[in-house]
Amino acid sequence: MKIDINLLPPEIRIQQLKRTRFYQIQTIGVTVILVMFFLSSLTVALRILQNQNIKNYQIKLASAQQKVSDLKSTQVSLFVLKNRLTVINQYAGVSSKQSAMYTLIDKLIPPAVIVNLVGVDQRGETILSLSAPDYESLDALINNLTLKESNEGKIKKVSIESLNRGKDNFYRISLKVQP
Amino acid sequence: MKKENLVKFYQTYKLYIFPAAVALSSIFLILFAIYPQTAKLISNQKEAGSLISKSDFLETKVLALESLDAEDLSTKVGFALNALPSEKDFSNILGLLQQLAGQTGFSISSISLSGSTSKLSNIESYEVKMEMNGTKVLLPVFINELENSTRLMKIKKIDVSSGQFSQVVDVSLIVQVLYSSLPQTFGTTDSSLPELSQKDEELLATMARVVGETPISPDTAIAPRGKSNPFE
Repeated sequence: MKIDINLLPPEIRIQQLKRTRFYQIQTIGVTVILVMFFLSSLTVALRILQNQNIKNYQIKLASAQQKVSDLKSTQVSLFVLKNRLTVINQYAGVSSKQSAMYTLIDKLIPPAVIVNLVGVDQRGETILSLSAPDYESLDALINNLTLKESNEGKIKKVSIESLNRGKDNFYRISLKVQP
Repeated sequence: MKKENLVKFYQTYKLYIFPAAVALSSIFLILFAIYPQTAKLISNQKEAGSLISKSDFLETKVLALESLDAEDLSTKVGFALNALPSEKDFSNILGLLQQLAGQTGFSISSISLSGSTSKLSNIESYEVKMEMNGTKVLLPVFINELENSTRLMKIKKIDVSSGQFSQVVDVSLIVQVLYSSLPQTFGTTDSSLPELSQKDEELLATMARVVGETPISPDTAIAPRGKSNPFE
């Protein structure tokens, strides 16, 4: 069994206790201040380093911008080329409604039928004036124009404007074809 | 006397004064050094990042521009501008129409150019009215050649008339000749370069092939027409 006997007066004991406590506080305080100084120095040093890096990046960027400016004419050519090609691609190889209609009708008219007049207007509406030597060719003409299989579904309506038979036995027919 | 008082005061309250001084110093350092520097460090890091990415982008752009053959590009631009000029090209069109008509055996009796301009969505056009005659069977060929010519043209109106048993037809055509003004902006230093798609490359190859096959000779454009001796 261990027995502690302290014979010092209580004032001195309190003073010793206070001193020990103050040393502890002093150590912690000095450590905190040192840490704060270290952090301050670190951030300032990093800022200086970062500023130098940024200056280098800015120099590199300015040099790249200068190079792009020197190649401006090539860039302009490329933009013009792309602009033209975009528009050309929309229209190139696409037949107009008018020419498509003319080509189709030209294909649908039987060889025996004589074409007197073909007129295709801006909407693709076609006026035909034809002469057929016999009824069979006239029938073939009407069938070709009206049947979906032959007209590829591109003709919506065929109206007969006039039909008559001349002294020469030719059938003269005027048609209006709507796409 | 005063100093002694101060020392005595400090000795009495040093347990409170020292931590307070440390705390105040720390707060001062945090407020006026650590926090502003750290905040600036973070914002500068972002700025540095954007500078790096911008610089990398521009260097890639420079490499892409340097890899382009300026002469080849200029030729391609020439093809594209020939197909779709930036303004009305009356003389070129007259020559081209005469050339196309000549190739398909059509004889042009009149050509009139319209000064008026019509505007489609992103393209403008002017009209050319032409009257000609030739073989009926070659008319679809002529129309096909015209609409698939390297110069962008579309047929607006077709009128064809022929005699009872004749294979010769009189044709009246209104052709829309397309053109489009150049873009107003050609990209800034920071803008990315347009890329030519597979379709664009194919179109350029077609244009180059057609131009190679049918060079526009000045003879065709200004060929003398009509009888060699008008008094015969």
